[in-house]
Amino acid sequence: MTGFLDSLFNGLALGSVYALIALGFVTIFKASGVLSFTHGSLLLLGGYLVAVLHDDLGFAGALAVAVLVTAAVAGVLDRLVLQRVGGSDPHAAHIQTIVTIGIDIVLVTDLARRIGGDLLPLGDPWGDAVTDLGPVTVADSRVAAILVSAVAIGGAFALFRFTPWGLSLRAAAEDREAAALMGVRLTRVRTVAWCLAGGLAALAAVFLVAFPAPGLERTTGQIALKAFPAAILGGMTSPVGALVGSMLIGLTEAFVAGYQSDLHVLGEGFGDVAPYAVMVLVLLVRPAGLFAAKGAARV
Amino acid sequence: MNVTHPRPRTARTAARTAALAAALAAVLLAGTACSSKADGGSTDDAAADGVKSGPGISDKTIRLGALTDLTGPYATLGKSIVQAQQMWADETNAAGGICGREVEIVVKDHGYDVQKAVTAYADIAPDVVALPQVIGSPVVAALLDDIERDHMLTFPQAWAASLLGRDSVQVLGTTYDLDMIAAVDFLTRAKKIAKGDTIGHVYFEGDYGANALEGSEWAAEQAGMKVAGQKIKATDTDLTAQVSALSKAGVKAILISAGPAQTASLAGVAAARGLKVPIVSSAPGYAPQLLKTPAAAALEAMVHVVSAAPAVSSDLPGVKRMVASYQKAYPGEPVDSGVLSGYNAAQLTGADLKKACEGGSLARQDVVKAHRSQKNADTGLGTPQDFTLVTAPASRSTYVLKPDAKAVGGLVGVEEAHKAPGVDAYMAGRG
Repeated sequence: MTGFLDSLFNGLALGSVYALIALGFVTIFKASGVLSFTHGSLLLLGGYLVAVLHDDLGFAGALAVAVLVTAAVAGVLDRLVLQRVGGSDPHAAHIQTIVTIGIDIVLVTDLARRIGGDLLPLGDPWGDAVTDLGPVTVADSRVAAILVSAVAIGGAFALFRFTPWGLSLRAAAEDREAAALMGVRLTRVRTVAWCLAGGLAALAAVFLVAFPAPGLERTTGQIALKAFPAAILGGMTSPVGALVGSMLIGLTEAFVAGYQSDLHVLGEGFGDVAPYAVMVLVLLVRPAGLFAAKGAARV
Repeated sequence: MNVTHPRPRTARTAARTAALAAALAAVLLAGTACSSKADGGSTDDAAADGVKSGPGISDKTIRLGALTDLTGPYATLGKSIVQAQQMWADETNAAGGICGREVEIVVKDHGYDVQKAVTAYADIAPDVVALPQVIGSPVVAALLDDIERDHMLTFPQAWAASLLGRDSVQVLGTTYDLDMIAAVDFLTRAKKIAKGDTIGHVYFEGDYGANALEGSEWAAEQAGMKVAGQKIKATDTDLTAQVSALSKAGVKAILISAGPAQTASLAGVAAARGLKVPIVSSAPGYAPQLLKTPAAAALEAMVHVVSAAPAVSSDLPGVKRMVASYQKAYPGEPVDSGVLSGYNAAQLTGADLKKACEGGSLARQDVVKAHRSQKNADTGLGTPQDFTLVTAPASRSTYVLKPDAKAVGGLVGVEEAHKAPGVDAYMAGRG
């Protein structure tokens, strides 16, 4: 039973961090139709900034700067690079998606060069502290991950629901042309979407490399790819879908790893492919994802 | 309708074509010149001093090659090895060189990319006599046939048993399986585990982990124990799920054959969850940088490292001398296990070259032959190595080390090198 609760809590904590990333994917996709492959490098950038700044600014200051800078970098990339690519081509979003792969390679290469073979601690206040919650012992950083993610995700949902920008975003996702004709400034909507996604990625970085993980590595950004199946099986255009998908992926990963010895039939190391296996299974049953808008175009 | 007319062939385009043709011809000529140079090098021509020559050998220089990782996941290690070997080359040259020739090391960075490594090998192979450094098990695996064909004496920075059995490839010290047999022996002697217990083993997919697991499973079977394996990937840096599975399996000790990040997470999580069992890591699973992570306290309290090489902080005179020179040559740079293993490999290469020179030939085959004739090669940097058996590791003795933030290289010795009891039987059984 302890094993079950352990895996359950782990899965929820992982899922809530993946949700921060997946929400970014979905927001960008809704606003611009672009599938952002730069998320891995944005995440790495956010984590790197916290790692190098926390000595001087303290953890909270470093985190604030990292979130703002990463958001700004994401916004600038969209404004100065992506929005100028493709022009009026009907497949502009596809072209921009491919450009994001290029941007990712450039950013990751530079960050990896700076990080080298080091393991950078982020100086977070939770350290290796743990709390006993009934029969299970949980890391404080994990509890913080769940709480902070809940607040951040709640905030993002409030933005979608209650602000003029959220309304514009939803309108743009529904029908870009009609929204533009109604006076929605698409370029501004999508730049804000990129900024939001960048900020969320920086926040996710902190919890991905905090204890129990040992610190920021050059490969940390690759973890962002795990949020891809989460966003896709959620339906790509639905923030709620991204949230549910992330939880599903996080739980799957935690349970498969926790019960690895009982799953020998599936081969060892199944935990690594499990998220993708779940994605394929869900898409077999619901080809458009769990919460896709009707008739949504998917890439 | 659009029709494209062929442009009239002006004098200018004709000239351009001619220039292009000339350039192509030059490139082709240069190509043949290169290959004829390489061919010429491997013929039996003797140098002025009567020593038979070969690729990488001229009257004045001996050229060695290094295929390293300066931009990939093992960049820190690669830098340490490159610097340590360069330091050896400088020292050797200051003392008059080898065989009356200066030693030169050609360094190529492959960034842990097998494709790049293969290209880099093809690039330097015609001009070097031996490779005192090749980083990366997959890289070595991809190059095995080429290395064997070229009789290129190679010291890989990898210790999988699958690399044994090649005349030109020398795995230094013990292989991963022997290290894990020593780890089980250490835990048994320390009364941490006993018959009937289960030991956890967290290991990387691939040669490294698979070979280590072979050793732990064999040793556990001999001792009447069970191994609960947890296979992970290099990108898994949070081992919470693995720890909870091992805790469920009721393990009394954990072995880990992965990278430093994984060892830190394993120790940190296990300590935090009250799974206070001893952890023994393979040598590549530890780096001094770990002592700056939140898991430092857990690492110092729970982890031991098994290694064929002594700690850098060891009292061995050879090691002390090397550390002092390295700190002088590269002030402020960390002195890690890479420095020791790189310097050791370079010294052994030097000894082989000297021996080959005494035999009157620096041709590659003869360097390999000289190497394989060394039964008790001792650089003063650890245990003596026996290179005469192609199918066996060069040593069967292992040190037990332990993290210590105050020591140079972040490790101190716990047990001197010795051969674990089952090792000979294991080697005999493997054939």
